[in-house]
Amino acid sequence: MPLLDVKDLSTSFRTEDGIVKAVEGVSFTVEKGQTLGIVGESGSGKSVTCLTIMGLNPKRNTITSGEALWKGDDLLKMKPNDLRQVRGNDISMIFQDPMTSLNPVHTIGRQLTEAILLHRDVTKKVARARALELLGAVGIPRAQTRIDDYPHQFSGGMRQRVMIAMALINDPDLLIADEPTTALDVTTQAQILSLMKTLQEDFGSAIIMITHDLGVVAELADDVFVMYAANVVEQATVYDLFSQPKHPYTWGLMGSLPRLDADVERLTQIPGQPPSLLRPPGGCRFHPRCPYVMEVCKTTVPALKPTPRDPNHLEKCHLDEETKEREAAKLLAVTMAEAG
Amino acid sequence: METAPAANPQTGDELLVVEGVRKYFPITRGIIFQKEIASVKAVDGVSFSVKPGETLGIVGESGCGKSTLARCIMKLLESTDGRITFEGRDITKLSRPAMRPIRREMTMIFQDPYASLNPRKRVGFIIGEPLEVHGLGSSNEIKRRVQELLEVVGLNPEHYNRFPHEFSGGQRQRIGVARALAVNPKLIVCDEPVSALDVSVQAQILNLLKDLQDDFGLTYIFIAHDLNVVRHISDRVMVMYLGKVVEVGSREVLYREPKHPYTGALLSAVPIANPELGRSRTPIVLEGDVPSPVNPPSACNFHPRCPRFVEGHCDVEDPPLYSFGNGHVAACHYALERWPMDADEIRRPGERTKSEHPEQPLPA
Amino acid sequence: MFRYLVRRTLWAILLFIVITFVTFVIFYVGPNNPARAVCGGEQAKRECLVRATAKLGLDEPMPVQYWKFVKQLVIHQDLGTSFATSQSVNERIKEAAPVTASLVFGGAILWMIIGLTVGIFSALKPRSLTDRFAMVFVLIGVSAHPVWIGLILEYVFGVKLGWTPIANYANFFGAPSDSGQPGGPWQWFYHLILPWCTFALLFAALYVRMIRANVMETLNEDFVRTARAKGAPERQVLTAHVLRNALLPVVTMLGMDIGISLGGAIFTESVFQLPGLGQTAIIGINNQDLAIVQGVIVFATIAIIIFNLLVDLLYAWIDPRIRLT
Repeated sequence: MPLLDVKDLSTSFRTEDGIVKAVEGVSFTVEKGQTLGIVGESGSGKSVTCLTIMGLNPKRNTITSGEALWKGDDLLKMKPNDLRQVRGNDISMIFQDPMTSLNPVHTIGRQLTEAILLHRDVTKKVARARALELLGAVGIPRAQTRIDDYPHQFSGGMRQRVMIAMALINDPDLLIADEPTTALDVTTQAQILSLMKTLQEDFGSAIIMITHDLGVVAELADDVFVMYAANVVEQATVYDLFSQPKHPYTWGLMGSLPRLDADVERLTQIPGQPPSLLRPPGGCRFHPRCPYVMEVCKTTVPALKPTPRDPNHLEKCHLDEETKEREAAKLLAVTMAEAG
Repeated sequence: METAPAANPQTGDELLVVEGVRKYFPITRGIIFQKEIASVKAVDGVSFSVKPGETLGIVGESGCGKSTLARCIMKLLESTDGRITFEGRDITKLSRPAMRPIRREMTMIFQDPYASLNPRKRVGFIIGEPLEVHGLGSSNEIKRRVQELLEVVGLNPEHYNRFPHEFSGGQRQRIGVARALAVNPKLIVCDEPVSALDVSVQAQILNLLKDLQDDFGLTYIFIAHDLNVVRHISDRVMVMYLGKVVEVGSREVLYREPKHPYTGALLSAVPIANPELGRSRTPIVLEGDVPSPVNPPSACNFHPRCPRFVEGHCDVEDPPLYSFGNGHVAACHYALERWPMDADEIRRPGERTKSEHPEQPLPA
Repeated sequence: MFRYLVRRTLWAILLFIVITFVTFVIFYVGPNNPARAVCGGEQAKRECLVRATAKLGLDEPMPVQYWKFVKQLVIHQDLGTSFATSQSVNERIKEAAPVTASLVFGGAILWMIIGLTVGIFSALKPRSLTDRFAMVFVLIGVSAHPVWIGLILEYVFGVKLGWTPIANYANFFGAPSDSGQPGGPWQWFYHLILPWCTFALLFAALYVRMIRANVMETLNEDFVRTARAKGAPERQVLTAHVLRNALLPVVTMLGMDIGISLGGAIFTESVFQLPGLGQTAIIGINNQDLAIVQGVIVFATIAIIIFNLLVDLLYAWIDPRIRLT
C-alpha cells in the first residue's frame, strides 16, 4: 500500500470576486522512501495541493473534495485532533522563506523541543538532547551553544537547516518541502539539497519536493508531475520526463530555460501569462498559449492518459503521438546539444 | 601565467571604466559623538570596463556587493574611493546638476517589478517621466514616444492610462524596460531584472532585452545570481565574492574553463535540468556561510572556504588578478588547471599530488 | 547597554532643561503678572504689588530666577512654594499625585482588559457579529470626548440612578475623621468607578483597534503556519506564537500612554472633581501660579521620561531582536 494515495483532489477558495479553483482533480501516490517532484510556476496549484493534504488552508472559504489517504486513512476527513497527530509527526512540511518561517521571539532550541513535546511524552531534557542530535545531523556548527540562539542570529541557509531539523525530529515518513531553496543562494542551495539527500538516506523518509526549478527536480526526484493552472498536465519518472516530454507546456518550460550545458540563441518563450483561476479558459487550460492549439483544445478538456509506450507516463494533451514525439525530439536536440 | 596589475588594459574606446571603486558603510558607536569603529566593506576595490554594444554579466551571491556596485556606477550612492569614467569623462565626483545630462545616457532596470513602479501613477506617466525631466519634447511628443515604447516592449499602447497593479509581474517588468529605454540611453544597468519572475516569463524578458540590444545598439551591465541567465545574455562575465572581483572572462571560456575555485563551486552548484548528467557528478559543496563583510578574511577573502587553500600563502598574500590570456583573469594563486573537476579532484594542490602519484617517493 | 543608559540619561537631562525653561519663558512672555494675581487682580494695591514682586523674586532677571529654581530643585529637591496659597509645592504634588495615579493605573487595567479580550476575539473571528459590534464600540470610543462621556455617565448613573457617587475622590487610606469626607478602600473604589470608565474608554477603543490589527496580521505570518504544520493545537499557536509577537508593540504604546496620562488626566479629573495633578495644573494656570504649574510639569516630565525608559528596557528584554546600542 502506498504511503500517500491522493485521489481526485480539488481545492477551491471563496473570494470576494468569486470562486478560485486552485487545484483541480489531482491524483498521485507516494511510496516509502520515494522522492516525488511537483513542478510548476506561481499559481499552478503545487503549493495548495500539499497545504490541502496537510489541512493548512484557512478553514473558512476553502472547499475541498477528493481523498488523501495516508496509510489508508483519509486526511481530508480526519477529525482535527487526529490530523494534528499526523502533522509534524508522520508528515512534516517545510516552507520557502526561512527568514520568516521561524518564530523570532523563541530560541531555536525551544522551537525544536516544542516539535518533539507535541508528539512525544518525554521530559524536556530528553527533548533537548534529541534537538541537539538533529542540529548536529543538519550540520549546525557548535550546536551546544547555538541551540539557545534566536533565529535572527542565523543566516538564511542555517535557518533552513534548522527548519529541516525541526521537520525530521520526529522521524516522519513523509517530508513535504515547498520550494525550500528558492530563497537561498545557489551554493547554499547546493548545500541544502545535498543535505536533504543524505538525510533521506539516513532517515528513510519519502520526500515531496515542490519547486519551479527543473534542475532541482532533475537532481533529486524519482518521479515528477508538472502542474499548470490547477491541473496535472504530465506525470512520469524523472528520466522519462526529461528524455521524452509529451506536453507542450513541459516543452515550453524546458525550452525557456537558459542552460549552462547548451548554447541557445533565443529562448523558447511561452507567450502570454498564466491564466486567471477565477475564470479559467474553457477546454484545455493551456490552449490560449499553446503553439499547437487545435479546435478541439478550446472546447474539450483532455484526459490525463498514459502514453502508448509507457503506462506510467501520463499526459493531458489532444495532440497525436507522432507530433509529440517529433516536437520532443526537436526540443532535446536543441537543449541537450552539448550534453554527453 | 603572468600577473596583470590591472584587470582590463584599456584601449580607449570603452564606454564605462571603473577603477578601484570601494564602498564602505560605516558602523558607528558612541555616547554623544558617533565614532566609526568598523565598516561594512560592501565593495572593496573593483575594476572593470565595458565596451559599447557588449553585455557584461556580473554574477555573485548575496552579500557580494553587486547591487551596491550597480548603485555606485549609477551614482545613486557615493563611492568611498575609486574612479568611474563614462565615455572618457570622469563622473566620480560630479555634482547632481552636472550628472543630469549623463543620466540620459545611463539608466537602470530594477529587480522587483512590484516595488519599482509607483503604484499611484499611471503607466504613461511612469514611462514618460524621464522624458519630461530631461525636457525631451512637448507633452504630445512625449505621449507619442511613450506609446511607441509600449509597443516596442510588447505591451498594448492603449494601456497608457492604466495603473501598475493592473499588470502582471512580467508586464510590469516590461514597463520598467520601457522606462529605462525612454531617453535612448547608451548603457542600461539591469539589476536582477528577471529574478522575481516565473521561468516562462523570464524567457520573454530575456528575449526582449536581447532584441532591444540589437535594435538600439545598447550596452548592458547585467547583474544576476543565476548563472544560467547570465551566461545566456552576456558576452563577458565577471564573478564577485565579498566585495571583490574574483574572475572575469568571456562567456565561453569562463563557463568552460573557470580558473577560480569559487567560480568552479558556483558552476558546480547549479542544478542541471538533465537527470543523467546532473546525478553523475559529485558537486563541489562549499563549507559554511559567506563571512560577514564587516570582518572579511585576511588576504584572499575566499580562503576559509576554499578547497584549494594553502596555508601561509592564501591567507597572507592577497592574490592579484592573474591573466590567463584573452582578457581572462582570476584572483587565485592556485587556479584550477582544468575543468570539470569534482569534489575530490579540486582539493588542495598539495594533497592532490600525494594521491596522483602514489608510487613516487614523497620529497624528504 | 551601559552606553545606552548613559546616552538616554543625558538626553533626559537635556529634555528636562528644555521643558522647564520653555515653561518659564511662557510665563514671563505672557501678558499677566503673577504678583497682580496674588494681590487680587484689578484691585491690587501698590504696596501689595511691591511686596509680592519682591517675595516671589519677580524683580530679578529671568535667567537668575530660572537658575534659582533649578538650584533649589536639584540640591534640595524642593519645587518651591505656591504663589497663590503659599503651600509647599512638594506637598501639593504629594497630595495630588496619588489621585492621578489611582485613576491612571486603574484605568489602564480596565482598558487593557477590554482591549485584550475584545481585540483578540475580533481578530479571531473577523466580520462576525462580535467583531462588528467591537468596531462600532471603537468608533464611539474614539469620537466621544471624555468630558461628554463623563457628564453622561455622571448624570445617568450618579444623578438619575444613584448607583454611584457623582464626584469627588475618597482617600484610600481613610479620610481624617473630622472632615466629613468618605474614606477607606471601598469608598475609594466606589468613587473611581465612573472616572475609570470615562478615562479608559478612549484608550480601550484605540487598543481594541490596535490589538485586533496586530493579531490579524500575525495570524498570517509564516511562523504561525510552521507552528500549525508541527501539529500544535490552535490554543498553543495562539498563546505561544501569535500573542507573544502581536502584543510586542502594545507594550511600547502602553508605557507611553501611562506616562503621558500621569501628567494629568485633565478632562476626567475636571468632570469628576478629582483633586489630581490635572486639576492642580489648571488651578495653577488660572492663578498664574508659576510654582505650581512648574511643579506639575516637572513631575509629569520625569514620569514620562522614566516610563519611556522602562518601556524601552522592557521591550529590549522581551524582543530578542532588539539590542540596545
